[in-house]
Amino acid sequence: MTTPFLHINGIRKTYGPVVASDHVELAISEGEFMTFLGPSGSGKSTTLYILAGFQDPTAGDIKLRGQSILSTPSHKRNIGMVFQRYTLFPHLSVGENVAFPLRVRRMGQSEIAEKVKRALALVRLDGFEDRMPAKMSGGQQQRVALARALVYDPPVLLMDEPLSALDKKLREEIQVEIRRIHQETGVTILYVTHDQEEALRLSDRIAIFNKGKIEQVGTGPELYANPATHFVADFIGDSAFLSGELAGVQGNRAALRFANGQKVVDIPLHGAGRQGQAADLMLRPERVELSAEAGAEGASLPVTVQDITFLGNCTAVAARTDWGDAMTVRLNFGHPLAGRLARGDRLHVRWSPEAAHAFVRG
Amino acid sequence: MFSAITAGRRGSGLGFALPAVLLLFAFFVVPVAALLTRSVTEPELGLQNYAVLVGSSTYARIFFNTFFVSGVVTLITVLIAFPVAWALAIMPSRWASIIFAIILLSMWTNLLARTYAWMVLLQQTGLINRSLMALGLIDAPLQLTNNLVGVTIGMVYIMLPFMILPLMGVIKKIDPAILQAAALCGATKAQALRRVLIPLAGPGIASGALMVFVMSLGYYVTPSLLGGTANMMLAELIAQQVQSLVNWGMGGAAAFLLLVVTLGLYAVQLRFFDAKEAR
Ligand SMILES: Nc1ncnc2c1ncn2[C@@H]1O[C@H](COP(=O)(O)OP(=O)(O)OP(=O)(O)O)[C@@H](O)[C@H]1O
Ligand SMILES: [Mg+2]
Repeated sequence: MTTPFLHINGIRKTYGPVVASDHVELAISEGEFMTFLGPSGSGKSTTLYILAGFQDPTAGDIKLRGQSILSTPSHKRNIGMVFQRYTLFPHLSVGENVAFPLRVRRMGQSEIAEKVKRALALVRLDGFEDRMPAKMSGGQQQRVALARALVYDPPVLLMDEPLSALDKKLREEIQVEIRRIHQETGVTILYVTHDQEEALRLSDRIAIFNKGKIEQVGTGPELYANPATHFVADFIGDSAFLSGELAGVQGNRAALRFANGQKVVDIPLHGAGRQGQAADLMLRPERVELSAEAGAEGASLPVTVQDITFLGNCTAVAARTDWGDAMTVRLNFGHPLAGRLARGDRLHVRWSPEAAHAFVRG
Repeated sequence: MFSAITAGRRGSGLGFALPAVLLLFAFFVVPVAALLTRSVTEPELGLQNYAVLVGSSTYARIFFNTFFVSGVVTLITVLIAFPVAWALAIMPSRWASIIFAIILLSMWTNLLARTYAWMVLLQQTGLINRSLMALGLIDAPLQLTNNLVGVTIGMVYIMLPFMILPLMGVIKKIDPAILQAAALCGATKAQALRRVLIPLAGPGIASGALMVFVMSLGYYVTPSLLGGTANMMLAELIAQQVQSLVNWGMGGAAAFLLLVVTLGLYAVQLRFFDAKEAR
């Protein structure tokens, strides 16, 4: 196996009894856009801070091009970082903020001027050199911070929720900028967010964090099509979960039985499970159909319509299974059923084989 | 014109301000005016008191002592207070509040008592000289009292809290993430200190330094107890003129000069920081 460009090797960090990150293992290739996605407190920032050198890990190692960087202090790691909070130096102009990393490296005046100009052009802030940070919007400040982090050509750029303080529209605008900058510079980026849409939009690969551990790593489509755990399935996408128990397991296919005795069969099972264990049936919304007729035996479930909401391009139908689990099915505009449904109607939920997954609970 | 606008805008508030204005007038303007009057009328009408103050080498010496000691005290105070304030700002808050309490306690302890304590510590047979000799660092005791060294040491100690408090205020407001950003940008600790921390703490340093310098200029107790008679400072001169020589004219002139210098410094600071804010 070749040495990975950046290797996060079994990083563990504890604060007293709190395990902030737990044996995080990840190999990142040069130029990759890797996103850490997970809920609050799942250890994303901790892992990033260890990379930056602000924290020492309790165990594990970080290797850049095969060399451990843990004994190198932050200021010699040559890593770029954009923070969640605005961290421009308030007493320096935009130009001097971007020049700062070059000045502390004692670079020549003309080279500094040249590089600052190029970095500001990269983030589309040409001509803002003399502006003070306090006189700029949040989005502009984060772009200056990006220029400051890139001006010394770091091999790795860390970004810890850099857009979380911005409103949605501005966030999407800067996401586009970040993609372009990633393509133009080819810098390796580690990006932290808890917004799945942002992660899917930006990343080459996504590492899903949960309780200090990485649950799964993969491209957006991989994670969506093939979630390894219940947590990943729940975190990516907007799926329905119906709770039951394993009625039979054959290889990695399972049959599930629900509380009222109804059964579904031939569902791909993720994770090891035995008969009788509690398990959830996950249904991806875009592959689920509502129909007046039942499907083949064990491949559909009867439901009762609870509520109907017209949303423009689709109609959301809130339905309830016979044992009481709720789920929402969307009907595209013009769907034959769309205009003819009423509360209390009995229908059948059907799915195409790749839309259903079974997860052992716990 | 500006004051006219302010007065117009706040016209209705003038009635509320009246008691304060009267107080200020009675307790500040009147005594200063009286002092100023006496300085130009005693023993006879004219500026001769000021001429003597400015002209004689004895008084020049006293002015020099005053400004020199105040300057050195201010400098040393800044150098000691900055790391202390920094440590207080970043240490766990339980520890910080204990140390803070100790600093406040020392401020509330009687000034004379603290100065006498320093006399005991600094004298020829005092703890400091004996320790230094025991350690073999010196052969004969150092002369630490009855000179400006003693005054400086005593005043630095007295002034430290006045420097630590405003510095802590500004340092606490600095986001630690800004220093983390500086470090990742490649700044060593020294570079981060010089290029980020000190400029950001600048207003706190300036206001603390001004306060310490001005207080030092007019300080009486410590210079008179630790400085001896040979090394007079301005406040001692004023006391001597008024108390021993009953020369209100000279005393008033010296006091008035001190006031003018102080106000001048204050004006400079206001200008400097107003200009910076306006940028
Ligand atoms: N300095 C610290 N001292 C004690 N516990 C800490 C410290 N820093 C982080 N933790 C704990 O470690 C865990 C992981 O924190 P971390 O900041 O890495 O989460 P995160 O995934 O970045 O979350 P968020 O999305 O909220 O930023 C949390 O439970 C947090 O409370
Ligand atoms: Mg975080």
